[in-house]
Amino acid sequence: MCNDRIWTLLARKLSGEATPTELTELDILLSSSHIHQQSIKNIVHTWNSAHPQDEEFMEATYLAHIERMKDKGISIDAEANESYNEERKPKIFFSIKNLIVFSSLAILIIGTWYLVNASQTTTTENNVQANSLREVTTKKGNRTKIQLPDGSNVWLNAGSKINYSKNFEGKERVVFLNGEAFFDVVKNPQKPFIIHTSKIDIKVLGTQFNVKAYEEDNTTETSLIRGSVEIFLKNDPGKKFLLRPNEKLVLNNDKTIRNEIAKKQIRNKALTETSKLHVAIKSLSYFNDIENVESSWTRNILSFDDEPFSEVAKKMERWYNVNIFFKNEKWQNRYLSGSFENETLDQALAALKFTTGFKFNIEGDNVSIY
Amino acid sequence: MIAYPENNNDNTIQELQYQICRYEDQSAYKSLFFLLFPSLQNFAYSIIRSRTLAEEVASDVLLEVWVRRQKLKEISNLKMYLFVSVKNASMAKLKQENKHSRFSIEDLEVEFISDYSSPEQVAELHQLEIEVARAVKELPPSCKIIYKLAKEDRLKYKEIAELLNLSVKTIDHQLSIALKRIAQAIKKHTSKKNQR
Repeated sequence: MCNDRIWTLLARKLSGEATPTELTELDILLSSSHIHQQSIKNIVHTWNSAHPQDEEFMEATYLAHIERMKDKGISIDAEANESYNEERKPKIFFSIKNLIVFSSLAILIIGTWYLVNASQTTTTENNVQANSLREVTTKKGNRTKIQLPDGSNVWLNAGSKINYSKNFEGKERVVFLNGEAFFDVVKNPQKPFIIHTSKIDIKVLGTQFNVKAYEEDNTTETSLIRGSVEIFLKNDPGKKFLLRPNEKLVLNNDKTIRNEIAKKQIRNKALTETSKLHVAIKSLSYFNDIENVESSWTRNILSFDDEPFSEVAKKMERWYNVNIFFKNEKWQNRYLSGSFENETLDQALAALKFTTGFKFNIEGDNVSIY
Repeated sequence: MIAYPENNNDNTIQELQYQICRYEDQSAYKSLFFLLFPSLQNFAYSIIRSRTLAEEVASDVLLEVWVRRQKLKEISNLKMYLFVSVKNASMAKLKQENKHSRFSIEDLEVEFISDYSSPEQVAELHQLEIEVARAVKELPPSCKIIYKLAKEDRLKYKEIAELLNLSVKTIDHQLSIALKRIAQAIKKHTSKKNQR
């Protein structure tokens, strides 16, 4: 009977129907049961494996569909559609992606964390006695892990800063974040945990999630692994978003997105209203059974999933502590996917170059893409 | 470098729906077609058991999306709406042909989109994956269609229940049976291998 419970819970988990409590229950059952581990692994793998789509076959099917529409007197111009796609290279999702500009984000489970040179040399911890405010910062190229006064753990990605009061006095546990961090928050319903960033505020009770809020990035992203969080938009007070596990909220940081939309609109003749595109809730991007793109950085993996080179460049600048310049603007809009674990900057760029066709030149800390 | 599979998720569909409705975006329509046509055709086939008719049904249903693009904003769950449309259209076709006109799960002929893999793709499969596929094929019909709709078409329990006229509890139960049986098949396969 207890055996069957595992299958019920696993099915719910895979279908995205499990509650956080059930996920925990499943973890416990799995670790204590005699169920064949290989079977579980294979089931999860099978479930998540995408059936490869035969592009040519689908193109042909689509053409046949368009023909059928024409026969019925319904006009949709497939030719124009074709050239439209041609121009904007990568995949079918390009147009929407271009609009929303999702860089992928995120988060995940805390696996093993290698503190890359983590010690004090790479992070500065200032104890400002006056207001008992603590500040931890990471330089580009470095990441670190800290423990907050309440026992919550925080992984801080490169080029980030977090502030919090020494003892979390007051009714709430408050931290200020600039940059990217993965939080594993200790549960305490009596004392909510609040994260302030420049664009959003996040309220949690106890949970695991990633926040990416770099000032220079196009988006602010909150990715939830487990538990629940409430997100409030600074420029739209009163509006509240509730995330479920495996979801992320992507907020477009105004200026850049408006440009993107303007560009797209000219092509597409429509208007400039952006309100609906401002915020989107998406699923996390998994690149195998358990690893998602969003939190892979906590395990020392630099990854991105179909993101524009311009956003990827920002990630690489922080990861490798370099400056990247585009000598040829067309590369900025190419979409890239990839993950790097031990690769040097040179190796990573060479791999991307192989699939994309750009050239690059590294001089000291400066990288030119042309 | 690893290439990740594109996520077929509800948010993507919502974005496409918005693009089509708001901007009459043809490339968004094409993307939506790529995302949903195989699932819809597959589902139609499970009811009418004719590939030609199934393709027609799926094409008709998706064609309406373009025709009624202005009204798309009124549909809160487009994917589910299309699945229900496919079901209704398929049942209507059956009726036309004077076959049975009542929907019955036991009569469904369940195929998987992944069954249509090319020979090259099949050659790359491991023995274990073939074993899993076989276990899935041997599931009872209702169990199989539920597993397919949840796994391959990413429908929610509530949606599957509505589509098949079942209770959510049944979906929950049937899916756990499916996983349990697949696990048994995997276990049998690996222990056989270890004996060798």
